[in-house]
Amino acid sequence: MDAVVKFTNQSQGRDRVFRATQYACALSIYLLQKKSSERKDLVAKLKSLEATMSAGRKLFRLGNTLNSIEAAKRTMQLSDPVLCLCLTVANINRALYFICDNVLWARSVGLIRDIDKEHWSLNASRCYFFSLVMNLSRDVYEIIQLMVQKARKGHFRQKMDQHLSENPEVAEVVIPQLDAFLFLLLESLKSHPAVALDTLKNTCDLFIPLDRLGIYKSNAGVVGFCGLISSLIGIVTLAQPKLKIKP
Amino acid sequence: MDSWVRFNSQSQAKERVLRAAQYACTLLGYTLQKGGVAAELHKTVTQLEAHMSLTRKLLRLGNSVEALEAAKRAIHLSDSVLRLCLTISHLNRAMYFACDNVLWAGKTGLISKLDQDKWSQRSFRYYLFALILNLTRDVYELRLLIECEERYRASKSPPSAYPGNNGPADHLSSPSLPASPAAVALPVMSAWLRRRLHLVATVLYSNPPLLLDLLKNSCDIFIPLDRLGIYPTGKGFVGACGLASSVLSILTIVHPWLKLKP
Repeated sequence: MDAVVKFTNQSQGRDRVFRATQYACALSIYLLQKKSSERKDLVAKLKSLEATMSAGRKLFRLGNTLNSIEAAKRTMQLSDPVLCLCLTVANINRALYFICDNVLWARSVGLIRDIDKEHWSLNASRCYFFSLVMNLSRDVYEIIQLMVQKARKGHFRQKMDQHLSENPEVAEVVIPQLDAFLFLLLESLKSHPAVALDTLKNTCDLFIPLDRLGIYKSNAGVVGFCGLISSLIGIVTLAQPKLKIKP
Repeated sequence: MDSWVRFNSQSQAKERVLRAAQYACTLLGYTLQKGGVAAELHKTVTQLEAHMSLTRKLLRLGNSVEALEAAKRAIHLSDSVLRLCLTISHLNRAMYFACDNVLWAGKTGLISKLDQDKWSQRSFRYYLFALILNLTRDVYELRLLIECEERYRASKSPPSAYPGNNGPADHLSSPSLPASPAAVALPVMSAWLRRRLHLVATVLYSNPPLLLDLLKNSCDIFIPLDRLGIYPTGKGFVGACGLASSVLSILTIVHPWLKLKP
C-alpha cells in the first residue's frame, strides 16, 4: 500500500494510470459495440469516463511544455552525437505537441473561441508522430550498438555456433544468416530489457498518430489496445526505475 | 527552471495550483457578477471553475488511502493530544475523500442515480470536522509554546516587573487613594491583554510553520461553514479564503521547512 501511495504521488504515475484507464475504456467500447448493440448504457458510461479522463489529463499537462524544454536542454549536452540529435529533436517535438495540446484545452473550456480545432489537433498529432519517430530511431541505434558489442564478445560467438549447429533440419533455418541475426537481436534485447521495453512502447504508441493522421488507418480497437499496452509499460518503467532506458 | 520541474512532478503540487486557480475563478466570477459584465464571460468563468473542480476530484481519487496511511502513522505519536487530534483529523479526511470519490463517480455518470446534494453535504461535514481538529491542534501547539515563552521570560527577568500582582498589601499601604475597583481594573485588564497579545505575536512570529498552518486552517474553515449554511458569507469571501489558503499551502510545498510537523 505504501508503494502504491508513493507511486501515485508522482504526477507522472497518476497520469499513466489515467492514460491506461482511458485506453482500456476505448478498447472496451470497441469490443462491446462489436459484440452486441444492447449494452448501450454501459457503453455510454464508458464513453463518459473516457471523455473525463481525456479532459482531466489535458488539464494536468498544462505545465509539461517547460518540462520538455528542460529535457531538451539536458539532452543537448550528451556526448554521443546520434543520441544528442535524436533525443533533442524528440523533446522539442514533444514541447510543440504540448503547446498544441494546451491550445486545444483552452478551446475546449471556452477561453479561446475562434481557432480551427481540427487544424490544431492535426498539428498536435504530427508533432507527437515526429517525436515518436525520433525515439524509435534512438532505440534502433541503441539496439545496433548492443548487437555490435555482443557480436565482438568471444563467449557469445561460442553460443551462436552452438545454436546454429543444434537444429540444422528445422524448417526455419532456411537462411542461416537471418537466423544468426535474429538470435543476436533476441540475445541483445534479453540482456537489456530497458531497450526492449522502450522499443515496444514506442512501436505501440506509433499506431495512435498513424491512425489519427490517416497514414495507416487501423480501427478504434487497435488504437485502444496499443495505447493500453504502452501505458502499462510506462507504469512498469516508472514503478521499476531499473527498467527505464537511460539517458 | 529546475525547481519548476521538481514542483510540477509532485501530484499534490499540481492539485494545489488547480485549487488556487479554481478559487480564483470563484472570486473572479463573483467580481464580474457584481460589476455587471456580459453573461458570456461570466458563463466561461463558471464553466472553467466547474471543469477544474471535476478534474481536481479526478486527481484526488487515491487520496483516501493516503489519509488512512497518515492516520496509521499518527497513532504512534507520543503526545496524547496531538495523537488524538491528528488521527481523528486524518480519518475524517479519509471519509471526506471517499465521499468526494462517490461525487466524482456521480458527476461523470458512472453511478446513475446519485443524490449529489446529500453526498456533497456529507463530504463538507467531514471536511469541517477535520478542519476543527486541525485548528484544535494549532491552538494546543500555540498554548505549549506560549507557556514555554512565559517560563523563559520569567527566568530571564524577576517578577517585580508586574506591578498589578501585589495583592491587598498595596491597598493597605496607600489609604489616601481610595480608587474605585472599576477604574483600576480596566487599565490593568488592557495592560494584561496587550501583554498576552504581544506574547502570542512573538511566539507566532518565531514559529512560521505554526502561523502558516493556523492561517491556512482559519481561511479554509469558512468554505464548509458557507456550504453547510452554518455561517454563510457569500461566494466572493469563500473564493478569497480558498485562494489565500491554496497560496499558503503552495508555499509549504515549495519551502518544505514551512510545513508544520508532524
